[in-house]
Amino acid sequence: MKNGKWKREKRETFDSHGDKTRMTKRSIYIGAIFVVLLVALFIGQSLLDRASVAEGAVVMAPRFEVDPLWPKPLPNHWYIGMSIGVAVDAQDHVWIVHRPDTVSANEAAADQKTGDCCSKAPPVLEFDRAGNLIGHWGGPGQGYEWPESNHGITIDHKGNVWIGGNGTNDAHILKFTQDGKFLAQYGHAGKTGGSNNTENFGRVAKIFVDPKANEAYISDGYLNKRVAVLDADTGKFKRYWGAYGNKPDDKNLGRYDPDAPPVQQFRNPVHCAELSNDGFLYVCDRPNNRIQVFKPDGTFVKEQFIAKRSLADGSVWDIAFSKDPQQKYIYVADGRNQKVYIVQRDNLEILTSFGDGGRQAGQFYGVHSIATDSKGNIYTTETYEGRRLQKFVYKGLAPVTKLDQGTVWPGGGSK
Amino acid sequence: MKRRRGLYVGLIFAALLVLLEAGPLVTQKSIAAQQKRAQGPNFVVDPLWPKPLPNHWVLGSVTGVAVDSQDHIWIIHRGADSLGNNEKGAILNPPTGCCVPAPQVLEFDQAGKLVSNWGGPGQGFDWPQSTGGITVDHKGNVWIAAAGQPESASRPASAPAAAGARPAVPKPQDAHVLKFSRTGQFLLQIGKAGKVEGSDSKTGLNRPTSVRVDAAANEVYVADGMGNHRVVVFDADTGAYKRHWGAYGEKPDDANTGAYDPNAPPAKQFRTVNCAATSKDGIVYVCDRQNNRIQVFQKDGKFVKEAFVSKSTLGDGSVWDIAFSNDPQQRFVFVADGHDKKVYVLSRNTLEVVTSFGEGGRQPGQFYGVGSIAVDSKGNVYTGETYEGKRVQKFVNRGMGSTK
Repeated sequence: MKNGKWKREKRETFDSHGDKTRMTKRSIYIGAIFVVLLVALFIGQSLLDRASVAEGAVVMAPRFEVDPLWPKPLPNHWYIGMSIGVAVDAQDHVWIVHRPDTVSANEAAADQKTGDCCSKAPPVLEFDRAGNLIGHWGGPGQGYEWPESNHGITIDHKGNVWIGGNGTNDAHILKFTQDGKFLAQYGHAGKTGGSNNTENFGRVAKIFVDPKANEAYISDGYLNKRVAVLDADTGKFKRYWGAYGNKPDDKNLGRYDPDAPPVQQFRNPVHCAELSNDGFLYVCDRPNNRIQVFKPDGTFVKEQFIAKRSLADGSVWDIAFSKDPQQKYIYVADGRNQKVYIVQRDNLEILTSFGDGGRQAGQFYGVHSIATDSKGNIYTTETYEGRRLQKFVYKGLAPVTKLDQGTVWPGGGSK
Repeated sequence: MKRRRGLYVGLIFAALLVLLEAGPLVTQKSIAAQQKRAQGPNFVVDPLWPKPLPNHWVLGSVTGVAVDSQDHIWIIHRGADSLGNNEKGAILNPPTGCCVPAPQVLEFDQAGKLVSNWGGPGQGFDWPQSTGGITVDHKGNVWIAAAGQPESASRPASAPAAAGARPAVPKPQDAHVLKFSRTGQFLLQIGKAGKVEGSDSKTGLNRPTSVRVDAAANEVYVADGMGNHRVVVFDADTGAYKRHWGAYGEKPDDANTGAYDPNAPPAKQFRTVNCAATSKDGIVYVCDRQNNRIQVFQKDGKFVKEAFVSKSTLGDGSVWDIAFSNDPQQRFVFVADGHDKKVYVLSRNTLEVVTSFGEGGRQPGQFYGVGSIAVDSKGNVYTGETYEGKRVQKFVNRGMGSTK
């Protein structure tokens, strides 16, 4: 009976706008509905809180929705290639690095002079919160060796931009100002000396800078099998280690076998090394499908497998921490299974995941890099033929209803 | 207290309604003021159409899109053969990860929900080694062109080969078109895979790219194609040969014409015949893709006129597919340009470009290899992208307005 009445009033509200006398009456009804909803929400929330506190039955996790219209289209018919790094700076500007050389001839038809569209965009692109392109630079220049295949980007606490490289001869990393002025190069192209060399690197995937100790953690890399730590100002080599904190060994490990005992070395590529606020380093051992956790001095703490049966290029591509002070969650980009896992940081258990394979908004092909802004929003970039920067808007904590949420669209329209 | 708050909320609501009502008036006024500028339909991409596919299905290179009489949207894509191993990991042995190639023929309703799927080899017909266009005729039957593009050409030369992609299995070259019921039951095949014949054959085709049916005459027009240099017409029920012609309505010639030169006199033959579509008033529009032109004919093949679109385009060419606007006069022709990554809106009367939309890229509303196009009864435009675009997109018709 009551339900029927509500339904009828609701229909009137939407069917007969423009009638002034009804409007007042309707506004009263709407007001009443609004109040009832508020009360219901309040009761619901306190019930939920009680349930989760008392029984621990309701698992809560951050919820996200893709913003399909972010960023804004690039100017100048610019076109991006494999996008293999994303970072957020102190102003919540979003930076990406991509590989212009991977843009094919029929995509870069304007460069080829066969058509109007398009031209390769510069490799480093900076977007504001609204998704406008506000800066761009990158490429070879005086005094440094631009990587054969740039890879990974980070903005440190001093506002400097760090870039790695995973090309055949890339054995170095680069540091620039935010407007692209060269500051420093550590290591030299073509001079790689293996995982126990303290002057060069072996095809670096990514850099993370610890603001407290002013140290740079190098994910090293596609050729080496270690984490290396440098002084972030001088580039002075401080320490390095392999899987489990072992001395790294570059011998070929053969193919990953999900049923074999865990290997005692990292597999290439070592794809991320990110330090939490409370001083734990999380390392992406990509084709080993695992996160290894260390103290900053390289002491092994624990490991966790993610999608352990993944083969080929592996499941643990990059991680980002949630933006709460405790960094309660870790977001793991899995370019093999085309999704982002939401992992509880204290026990490294997967709470849920979002994303699916495909070219539509919120889907992935080779989701490679991940970062979060101060509002808790997630940014991803895709390599292979995905070649996009995407934004996933943080929608607060929500009860977990599915382990695999699929494509997360606005309005909760996941499949 | 409650009542008063209700009143406030109501007032805000009312104010919003007034604003909403006033909005269109303002817009209309500004449109009226700009009446002198060129008028064309305006579009905005629907970034959330269609809905995500079920079962971790992914699309390969999309080679055809069509709209049926119920405004359902049909696409055809190249499936597993056009997908890298790292995007079809679930079907490998052993499985390596996500995902699964979707069946090659997919039907969506207006809301973008997948309502049927089929396609693949079967008894009594040659499933294309590589698909071309798709159309749904006035009787509700589905036609598919077998474009048989070799593996080496189906992927841009400079694009990296997918990791671990398996070597191409030799298959007979496509030289046929197929007709199915809308549920995927085989009905008719014209031509035979591997039986490649030249541009004067009455029985064989050579990598046809597209097929459209003229309801008025119950005739099927085949754009023939990648290999041949002609338009060929068959009876849509029996598949019986009726007529064919080349560029300017002349006898087609399959001699190699060399690379396209924008400064040379227009070629006397078609280069790549990519579409042949008949308007309601009985005019046939042919996409001569790599000659960057539309040639217009009477149904009997008598040449009427031609128009170049983005004439300086090299490489793949500019005129990939066309669709007519949904108004009774079909005042506009939409041209998918997979090389310049945009859709041109042409006045059908003059064949002059009124406006265009689209840009290169992977975001909603951008294109990579937009090669097929269709229009629904509401005037919305649907596009299919081949190469690594691998999408179907919807552009919502926002009515007429002045164009840039």
